[in-house]
Amino acid sequence: MNYPVWQLEFLGGGFLIAVIAIIHVYIAQFAVGGGLFLVLTEHLAYRRNDQGILDFVRKHTKFFLLLTMVAGALTGVGIWFTISVLNPSATSTLIHTFVFAFGTEWTFFVAEIVSLFIYYYTFDRLTKRNHLTIGWIYFGAAWMSLFVINGIIDFMLTPGAWVENNNFWSGFFNPTFWPALFFRTFFSVIIAGLFGFMTSSFLKDEELRTTMLRYSAKWLLVPFVLFLASSWWYRAALPPHIEVIIFQKMPQLRPFITLFLVCSGLIILGGLVMAIRMPSGLSRTMAAVMLVIGLMYFGAFEFLREGGRRPYIIYDYMYSNAILKNDLDSVAEAGILNTAKWVEHRHVTPANVQAAGRELFDVLCLSCHSIGGPLNDISRQVRMSSPEELNLIFATMGWERPYMPPFAGNEFEKQILINYLNTTIRR
Amino acid sequence: MDAVSLIPTPDALQVHWFWLHLLLTLTTFLHFVAMNIMLGAGFIAFATPFWRGNDVMPLNAHIAKTLPYSIAFTINLGVAPFLFLQVLYGQFLYTSSVLMAVYWLSIVGLLIISYYAVYIYRLIDDKSGLGRLFIGAALLLLLSVSFLFSNNVSIMQMPEVWLKYFSDRTGWLLNSSDPALIPRYLHFIASAVAIGGLAIALYFEIRKRRGATDGEEWIKLGCNWFMVATIINFGFGFWFLGALPENAYDPATLYGKLFFIMIVGSVVTIIPSVAYAQAGRIIPATVWALATVLLMTLARDILRLTYLKPYFSLRELPYEPQFSPFLVFLIAFVGGIYLVGWMLKTVWNAKEVT
Ligand code: HEC
Repeated sequence: MNYPVWQLEFLGGGFLIAVIAIIHVYIAQFAVGGGLFLVLTEHLAYRRNDQGILDFVRKHTKFFLLLTMVAGALTGVGIWFTISVLNPSATSTLIHTFVFAFGTEWTFFVAEIVSLFIYYYTFDRLTKRNHLTIGWIYFGAAWMSLFVINGIIDFMLTPGAWVENNNFWSGFFNPTFWPALFFRTFFSVIIAGLFGFMTSSFLKDEELRTTMLRYSAKWLLVPFVLFLASSWWYRAALPPHIEVIIFQKMPQLRPFITLFLVCSGLIILGGLVMAIRMPSGLSRTMAAVMLVIGLMYFGAFEFLREGGRRPYIIYDYMYSNAILKNDLDSVAEAGILNTAKWVEHRHVTPANVQAAGRELFDVLCLSCHSIGGPLNDISRQVRMSSPEELNLIFATMGWERPYMPPFAGNEFEKQILINYLNTTIRR
Repeated sequence: MDAVSLIPTPDALQVHWFWLHLLLTLTTFLHFVAMNIMLGAGFIAFATPFWRGNDVMPLNAHIAKTLPYSIAFTINLGVAPFLFLQVLYGQFLYTSSVLMAVYWLSIVGLLIISYYAVYIYRLIDDKSGLGRLFIGAALLLLLSVSFLFSNNVSIMQMPEVWLKYFSDRTGWLLNSSDPALIPRYLHFIASAVAIGGLAIALYFEIRKRRGATDGEEWIKLGCNWFMVATIINFGFGFWFLGALPENAYDPATLYGKLFFIMIVGSVVTIIPSVAYAQAGRIIPATVWALATVLLMTLARDILRLTYLKPYFSLRELPYEPQFSPFLVFLIAFVGGIYLVGWMLKTVWNAKEVT
């Protein structure tokens, strides 16, 4: 309404953001749990006085640094860039509400990169004690970043009392803040184990390799029970109306729930198998498979969280298409073509009826539907029902179809949009 | 349709705009310094073999060693101004980003590739042969990223070009119609080369003070790059000035007056800086040069206000005070500085020159 719409067709419907977000969050969670993995493993090396383990920590740090510092940090910037072009209104709300939370997170980010660089380059230059302290500073800063960003991410799903009082703290310590924090913390420890498999499996010395693989397996298996408990708590903390929608009224989310459950089993199983002594080639393959399973596991969760937020981008406040819940009635009365700022065809004539239909589609639907792409393709959706049925679908948006916002245009605009869908899109 | 009707409604600030702008200007300055070091040193590492042939060691090895850091810090220090910019100017910035969305998002990919290219450059021993391919690729990508940033700034400051959206909504717009775009860009790049040169001199100066003996030649080389690039940059600067709308430096207006003072101030500070550098006094040269960068950062802020004057004023932004998050941020900021200081001190005290 307020901003121009970027006509992203094939990669739309959430595909672009999903790809970047899942990669980013996976690496970013690794950046937290992996930090703990580094220091605790270094402690272990000193305790056992084992140079082999210390060398392993060093190698693992290099891999860790290259992955988290570059791909992790840049995909993080990537998420910002992406949401700000896909949904500038929501980004603006988040930024204005949480500017100082983001700012605080940034200071932790600075501490993170300084400590990580120092940690990597000073293995034999600093005293053991100072080196470990730097490692702990890294982990502390990384976990604090998680703490802060967790508040902002969960705000979008459960903004809680913020919707009424507009208070920073209500939004930040929202109803799912604590369960999500535990959930993500345990998950990041599990991911540390998964990446631990990866670097361990490359160790040449068989004895050491088996030791480190078993050690990494503990990272995965020990927090697992706690992780499952926290996901249960997470679900229980969801406000009832959101819980019902996610688990009962959105058939399109069911495959992700199944995937999540299946991967839980696979992770446990894989963790146990990795503890068995095996040749290095096999353990490398297994480690790679486990990493992919971890990614799918986490991807399934993120899809649930993002998908479960529909039809909102900020629950009970702003719909995915950036229309505010409170504005819905007044917009519907005045009409989209009259109220949206970035619309060209305010007066519809036979000559521009298709173009006006396209503009309505851009403003109201493009945020969730791709055109011809892999996710939520509108051409496929339209072809699944007859031209007449579209009227019914529009009437039930936001009600029997709770995953879509109510149609926000007026009666005339509805016909123009349906006409556009039945002609240009259906073709 | 006119541009004014397109400008999105801004969201409310939580503290007075002054604080946010202070943070914006301060962090932009830090980002510029890091960016200048990164881009300038990269440029010099690439260019020097063209006339020195193989005789670029150990200079290029040192640049190769530090480039991954300077890229990481440039990005890290870019995050903060990007945040505060969105708070104050989001309605302009988001719009321009949407208009050039494809280019804008490509920045992320370009940066990832250039980082890994720099990393490979570091691993390659032959810095003036095969290595040049990698530093060249990295440099080219970083220069493209800079150009895209200049473009975004240009589009965001000129709502009158936003109407182009209606002829291309797919995110492939650049602002070729802005006469100030190219000189603005060149002015930034030349500044980076100059500051990069000075940074090289400073780097070797510090090593010298800690006992290294290989520095003299490179201190000289850095200072010469600093001087030559600065002289060239006077040219770009005047070109840029000439391409600006006239009211930018109109002394009858407040912004014009301030802008004029900043420009004169930056000339007044860069001259002693170059002179000190030529005299081999690197520390005072650096202090003066930092003053210039700061003044230029301020001039840039004022210039943005001039561009946006017909559409916008900071005082008109909605304001709904909530101070406690600001306080938390300040505490974290101070705590962060303390921690970073402690870590650097610890390393400094432990590290011998290698
Ligand atoms: C909040 C995101 C969102 C918005 C906005 C949205 N949709 Fe949907 N739409 C969905 C989802 C999710 C589905 C279900 C996909 C599935 O079942 O696989 C869907 C399904 C559909 C279907 C198929 C019928 C059905 O219910 O399964 C049609 C037709 C459709 N959308 C049209 C539109 C139109 C037209 C607009 C714009 C007025 C729109 N949508 C806006 C998310 C959205």
